[in-house]
Amino acid sequence: MTTDMTFQIGSGIGLPEREIDIVKESVSADASLKVSRDDRKTVGEITHNDARMTCRNVNVYYGDKHAIKDVSLDIGKNEVIAMIGPSGCGKSTFLRCLNRMNDTIDTCRVTGDIAMDEIDIYDRKMDVVLLRAQVGMVFQKPNPFPKSIFENVAYGPRIHGLAANKTDIEEIVVTSLKKAGLWDEVKDYLEEPGTSLSGGQQQRLCIARAIAVNPEVVLMDEPCSALDPIATAKIEELIDELREHYTIAIVTHSMQQAARVSQRTAYFHLGDLIEVGDTDQIFTNPRHQLTEDYITGRFG
Amino acid sequence: MAYTHKHTTDIVRAGLKKRYKREARFRRMGLAAIIMGLLFLSMLFISIIGNGYTAFWQTFVQLEIHLDASVIDPDGTRDPEIISAADYGGMVKKSLREMYPEVTGRRDKRTLYGIVSSGASFDLQDYVMAHPDQIGSTIQLWVPADDDVDMLMKGHFDRDKVETERRIKDNQIAWIDKLIAQDRIESRFNTTFFTAGDSREPELAGIWGAAMGSFFTLVVTLLLAFPVGVATAVYLEEFAPQNRWTDLIEVNINNLAAVPSIVFGLLGLAVFINFFGMPRSAPLVGGLVLTLMTLPTIIIASRAALKSVPPSIREAALGIGASKMQMVFHHVLPLAMPGMLTGTIIGMAQALGESAPLLMIGMVAFIVDIPGSAMDPSTVLPVQIYLWADSPERAFVERTSAAIMVLLMFLISMNALAVLLRKKFERRW
Repeated sequence: MTTDMTFQIGSGIGLPEREIDIVKESVSADASLKVSRDDRKTVGEITHNDARMTCRNVNVYYGDKHAIKDVSLDIGKNEVIAMIGPSGCGKSTFLRCLNRMNDTIDTCRVTGDIAMDEIDIYDRKMDVVLLRAQVGMVFQKPNPFPKSIFENVAYGPRIHGLAANKTDIEEIVVTSLKKAGLWDEVKDYLEEPGTSLSGGQQQRLCIARAIAVNPEVVLMDEPCSALDPIATAKIEELIDELREHYTIAIVTHSMQQAARVSQRTAYFHLGDLIEVGDTDQIFTNPRHQLTEDYITGRFG
Repeated sequence: MAYTHKHTTDIVRAGLKKRYKREARFRRMGLAAIIMGLLFLSMLFISIIGNGYTAFWQTFVQLEIHLDASVIDPDGTRDPEIISAADYGGMVKKSLREMYPEVTGRRDKRTLYGIVSSGASFDLQDYVMAHPDQIGSTIQLWVPADDDVDMLMKGHFDRDKVETERRIKDNQIAWIDKLIAQDRIESRFNTTFFTAGDSREPELAGIWGAAMGSFFTLVVTLLLAFPVGVATAVYLEEFAPQNRWTDLIEVNINNLAAVPSIVFGLLGLAVFINFFGMPRSAPLVGGLVLTLMTLPTIIIASRAALKSVPPSIREAALGIGASKMQMVFHHVLPLAMPGMLTGTIIGMAQALGESAPLLMIGMVAFIVDIPGSAMDPSTVLPVQIYLWADSPERAFVERTSAAIMVLLMFLISMNALAVLLRKKFERRW
């Protein structure tokens, strides 16, 4: 079985070029030095010397299912951290812990400590509304409100009372749309419904909507999975620009994307955080056998 | 792996004919079902319209009446009170006697008086009250004919039958023929039917009283059932925790939707009338009972509408820090509203067509007056239909059908409104 797969990779069937490069490099590394597949302790540096969010021993249960097992990870200021892993590995679940979106699922239970700027976000006194104003989120499927483009972006600032008057709101909307790289395309159609835009535009609208509240962290849950390559490229470019102002955690299925946009990468496997490290190191010289299996395409 | 390419196509081809045959059979069956449904529907409509369309016309008879000043206003005061108290019935009778001088004998005379409606004297009274200057002169007044005359004119009574087997006798037919010969009888649009309340005389009976009763009842129902139903649905769907209690409530709501409506009537009788002492036969109580009956429909439809709002919209709202209430009221509720309105209108249409529970709370009473508020005794359209269907006069048969047509018109327009609302506000994702 394994030999079959290796053979396929070697012959390059069905894999994009970039990945093959990675494979070649990693194949050249000495396999005997890898951490064995049975070892589920996190490999690599989980801490960050300038951390915005710190997660320690996070466990998530959906009813009886143990979805996240004892994950500890820091997310640094102004960095883009990518979370990769096969389907069902818990990367999205982990992401959704960071702004307590899991609260909306009745059967979901979260234990452990997640702190943002050293304030426990799962504290009883923590207000989720306040938290989500600081930690914005962009979802897998573009989900603009069925309202005008303007209203989509203005909604967040409006409910949080970020703008004193109409001029302020307009300014926020314009700035956010500009930051999201959508302004030039929609400036004449602000009253059109957000749902009338193309998929890529919708997703950038959702990003504009998220950053209109001026969050500190932006979570992105596979933001490009529903988009074509050109739209994806635009979003990736955007993520790179947004890094200047925001901390970004992105979940992605595409390893190329993780390699392109992130500085750090975390690899999840069946609820375990297997390996964390600089993106370059993860993709060129993974230290855990499972990580290598994944990035070389042996499964997932 | 054993199959070669040729093999597969051969097997598929062999089975193709059977597959298509099955599909064609299914289509034919579906088509037959639709045709049958349409057939029944058209039969229903044809029978109702065929029976009822004549009710929109009413036979009128022209009488020559001398407005005798010595009878109407002996002192010449022109005081409305005195004028209205005059014996108009006597004047109508006198006019008929003069028109048919050959009729003698008390019994024949009484039969003769019966060819015009008993409401003729009121028409005459109204006329004189409106034109007091004509007192002393002789006028030509069109008054409604009796329902039997009306039926004869509309051809519902067979002239060729043996005299003893028909309601209208030979001498009456002779009088009517004389009226026809003198052009003193004609068919007119039946405004009474749309403006009057109920009456024992078919030619004086109308549906306006019942329509107003239905209107007040539905207003009460809508005002109570819509807000309560929507609030319940929103709370259960969006805010209530999932536990045994909410499960129990949910099961009970679903069961309530299946409770026979007459049970709600009994409940209304026991609780609203006997316990709370609310007035009998009043649209208020009818509305309360129908609210109980419609609530499950509205709640179930509203919950379905709320459920159909995609979770992505909820996540989007929560994701930028909207509170739960903001999420519900800014995003979910507006999107669910068309579905909720559709459910409400269907519930209202159900309530409009409901009669059984209203029988229990006394809305089946014979009420002549047109209700002016939700507290006045009244009846409703379906109950009016039931009452008329129960009446022996032939003229009530066509009025029953006509009332059904009016009710169906309301129902169809309400359902059309529901469809329009759905079309207008429906959103695509």
